[in-house]
Amino acid sequence: MAIPYGTDEWVETYNNIVKERMESQSPPYIMGTPEWVKQYEELIQNDAEYKEAAKTWEGSVVIKILAKPEIGLDKDLYMFMDLWHGDCNYVRIVPAEVGEAGDYVITGEYERWKAVMAKELDTVKGMMQGKLKLKGDLPTIVRAVKAASRLVDLSASTNPRFPDELDDAGKEDLRALLKRAEEELGI
Amino acid sequence: MADVKLAPGADEVAMAVMLSDMLKANLEKPEKLKEFNKLKARVYINAKDAETEITMDFNRGTLTVYGGKEGSPDISIETDAATLLDLANINIKYGMPWYFDETGMAVVKKLLRKELRIKGMFTRLGALTRLTKIMSLN
Repeated sequence: MAIPYGTDEWVETYNNIVKERMESQSPPYIMGTPEWVKQYEELIQNDAEYKEAAKTWEGSVVIKILAKPEIGLDKDLYMFMDLWHGDCNYVRIVPAEVGEAGDYVITGEYERWKAVMAKELDTVKGMMQGKLKLKGDLPTIVRAVKAASRLVDLSASTNPRFPDELDDAGKEDLRALLKRAEEELGI
Repeated sequence: MADVKLAPGADEVAMAVMLSDMLKANLEKPEKLKEFNKLKARVYINAKDAETEITMDFNRGTLTVYGGKEGSPDISIETDAATLLDLANINIKYGMPWYFDETGMAVVKKLLRKELRIKGMFTRLGALTRLTKIMSLN
């Protein structure tokens, strides 16, 4: 049974997985993995441009990547960003019920997020085209459009490897990682 | 509550849904509702990079949003999706849109560079000013 989210044990287990993965993998990391999320978190935390643009921002932002079993993503993936007044407290992959409860949830199919992170799709444009869907107070996001754009730019600057481009062994490794995350962390 | 509705089929056009939701939220403010109740104009918006277009038909207290070009517009706005959101961030000062701060100047620069094209800017200046005040989140 998975460790309950929100407990110290959950955070410790999550951090251990991140540490193990960072020691065993080398950049560029695979999009959506805990080590990639950690790399992204550090980029946001150290980015002066984001800090300035987001100085009035309050609330969590969740990127929801819809499941795509053929590439190893058997379930929807929720990347939760705890953001407050220009600070990024953490970015983590979280269980579905936690992700859905985020203040702003931006949902898209895997291909859409891949396009965003490959700088082929602008998030605002994607939302206007309905390729990405926002749950949350739209005016607040619009007011903070510069901060949101910066977050996306930073995600693209990680230059991740993409799950659909992995060989079979890579996809199996990803599937095993996500299965472990599900069993231990309820992700 | 302001009478803002989507024309049949417009609910399938994300930009129509986004902008009507944004307007509904804005119109909860009495000063914006007052402007809304005076505005009569048909406004066409084309987010060229997103290849999406809508028409907003303001009729003194009601608004119908169409998912595409509908009728003959009084005001046409053509730009990219991000600039449309910049327009929503224009500040209002002394009861008028304010173009002398960073956000306003960025919009003016885009106008000069023709990255933002507004037809009806001079012939329907009053309506455009009213529209800007209604659309502004500030």
